[in-house]
Amino acid sequence: MLPRLVVLLAAFLSRRLGSDAHGTELPSPPSVWFEAEFFHHILHWTPIPNQSESTCYEVALLRYGTGRWNSISNCSQALSYDLTAVTLDLYHSNGYRARVRAVDGSRHSNWTVTNTRFSLDEVTLTVGSVKLEIHNGFILGKIQPPRPKMAPANDTYESIFSHFREYEIAIRKVPGNFTFTHKKVKHENFSLLTSGEVGEFCVQVKPSVTSRTNKGMWSKEECVSLTRQYFTVTNVIIFFAFVLLLSGALAYCLALQLYVRRRKKLPRVLLFKKPNAFIFISQRPSPETQDTIHPLDEEAFLKVSPELRNSDLHGSTDSGFGSTKPSLQTEEPQFLLPDPHPQADRTLGNGEPPELGNSCSSGSSNSTDSGICLQEPSLSPSTGPTWEQQVGSDSRGQDDSGIGLVQNSEGQAGDTQGGSALGHDSAPEPEVPAEQDPTAVVFRGYLRQTRCAEEKATKTGCLEEELPLTGGLGPKFRGCLDDEAGLHPSALAKGYLKQDPLEMTLASSGAPTEQWNQPTEEWSLLALSSCSDLGTSDWSFAHDLAPLGCVAAPDGLLGSFNSDLVTLPLISSLHSSDSS
Amino acid sequence: MKLQCVSLWLLGTILMLCSVDNHGLRRCLISTDMDHIEDSFQEIKRAIQAKDTFPNVTILSTLETLQIIKPLDVCCVTKNLLAFYVDRVFKDHQEPNPKILRKISSIANSFLYMQKTLRQCQEQRQCHCRQEVTNVTRVIHDNYDQLEVRSAAVKSLGELDIFLAWIAKNHEVTSSA
Repeated sequence: MLPRLVVLLAAFLSRRLGSDAHGTELPSPPSVWFEAEFFHHILHWTPIPNQSESTCYEVALLRYGTGRWNSISNCSQALSYDLTAVTLDLYHSNGYRARVRAVDGSRHSNWTVTNTRFSLDEVTLTVGSVKLEIHNGFILGKIQPPRPKMAPANDTYESIFSHFREYEIAIRKVPGNFTFTHKKVKHENFSLLTSGEVGEFCVQVKPSVTSRTNKGMWSKEECVSLTRQYFTVTNVIIFFAFVLLLSGALAYCLALQLYVRRRKKLPRVLLFKKPNAFIFISQRPSPETQDTIHPLDEEAFLKVSPELRNSDLHGSTDSGFGSTKPSLQTEEPQFLLPDPHPQADRTLGNGEPPELGNSCSSGSSNSTDSGICLQEPSLSPSTGPTWEQQVGSDSRGQDDSGIGLVQNSEGQAGDTQGGSALGHDSAPEPEVPAEQDPTAVVFRGYLRQTRCAEEKATKTGCLEEELPLTGGLGPKFRGCLDDEAGLHPSALAKGYLKQDPLEMTLASSGAPTEQWNQPTEEWSLLALSSCSDLGTSDWSFAHDLAPLGCVAAPDGLLGSFNSDLVTLPLISSLHSSDSS
Repeated sequence: MKLQCVSLWLLGTILMLCSVDNHGLRRCLISTDMDHIEDSFQEIKRAIQAKDTFPNVTILSTLETLQIIKPLDVCCVTKNLLAFYVDRVFKDHQEPNPKILRKISSIANSFLYMQKTLRQCQEQRQCHCRQEVTNVTRVIHDNYDQLEVRSAAVKSLGELDIFLAWIAKNHEVTSSA
């Protein structure tokens, strides 16, 4: 019995000694500790001295309060081990204890246990990320808490550390490496005032929980560069407002230029050509209405007459009119030019040639230019009687003389009624006075013609003066009427023709009274005839002729001419009525 | 109209008093500087917990399992645990190291101050403990008795962080820092 006990005791002792020998051979790791961040729990240990290649380490974990050690790793070559997966409820429990021992083959070292109970207090606080933005000169920062993958869904940084989270911010401008500006914020969103500085700014963040003793770790440096903002919202708005104002002002000025101040153009209808004799005559003032008729010397007329006879006044309708027919030529200018020297015409009656020759540029009646030449005193008296004589001679038997001249004058003077009228005027004038007073009256009429071209405006006065039928005023009246009648060549022509019988009757009468009446009648007829043509003219005469009863048409006038004898009393009555 | 106003006013007053009542209990410990206690503990935590050779045994573990239903439960538990530490743990622990001893002393003084503040709040209103709370307190005391006194004391000191965390969680103490 006793020997069995001794043998068993020896075996037991030897076994124990053997195990002890094995356990003592390997040293245990000097220290074991946890290095933990938010859901990143790493167990670290120091290696054993004299570590061989086959040495590995065994890790075991114990949840504080439970009685069992759980082996996590049988053989770990590294000096650290990630125990996050097995310590997920660290934040809701009292903690864990871990231990490590060296293993080399069959030999094991003693366990080395962590000094402290691994609990939430040992977790180092970190920041997930920091995002920086620039807004109107401010640096806006947003701190993102850590979001580890192994963390359960409902275990977030904010849920575990629900209160008193704080962050310390260190700002530095890039050039200076050690000049930091610290600022504490109590929220994940913060803003930094750069106060207009430009450059690169770097920011670091360290989290902490004021109600806990957990340590914090500085985050990575985040840098942002601040540049001068030229395209800010306010600047852009101001720029666009300025552009709008400028464009508005430009549009206003353009509109002003185009539509308000545009030079107004007259309509084409109202445009007139170069002023002609017609206009000149109409524009002439009427201070020269006082025309005094002066009797001319027959001698002067006789001298000039042969010249005219030889001229081709009768049938000449071409420009040759102006070459050798000073008298005819003068007609044209009469229409076109005003009378710069009206007095010259008046004095012609006296037989004194007015000194108007200088007014003519050509200096001779042969010139075909504007009426300046007409005023030559030398020519006027000479041409007058000659003209008249021819007209007088031809008037009875020939319709050409006055007409031809008139026509020529018409052609050359233009298409103005005034010109034609003048021609006409010249034609009848010599006729009537030729019958009664061939020399004096006709001459005057001729003179009147010259003046009429220039003094068309004055004819109004002439008419007015000669309205009263008196012997003394007869010539005047006649002259004026002649002027009026001369306005319309066609009518004059007709009147000229028609006047023949009248003239015959008148001539046969030979009575001054009759003469007076007849020429008046003729004149009135002529006036009537002329009046028809004057319908559209702007002569003042038309206005004056109206009271004379100028309403009938040319045809009507012809008829009236035919029935002169019948209408004479009417005409005379009209005339008398007008005169009265 | 006037009757409605009066009734509303009364209701508001009652609600306010109730809220004050709740906050009052919690307010009892707000003035305590918990940070100071926690900082002190962190400095001695490693040294004290290193001495704990029984990791598989816990004393305050039942505290986690306690379900807090009413604010009175918080008051009761806090009062019981403060008495446990002051009456048993600090008296049973013998610290050779003066630095650690100084820290432990400061923690004990803070606990005494907390006890005094809580007693004043409790005098105004009665702090009745539920059966569950009474049971939890008894388990803690039983756990403490299972171990050797020195080991139990050291272990209890090592578990101070659990107690402090429980206070912070249930009392919503604001930081005085």
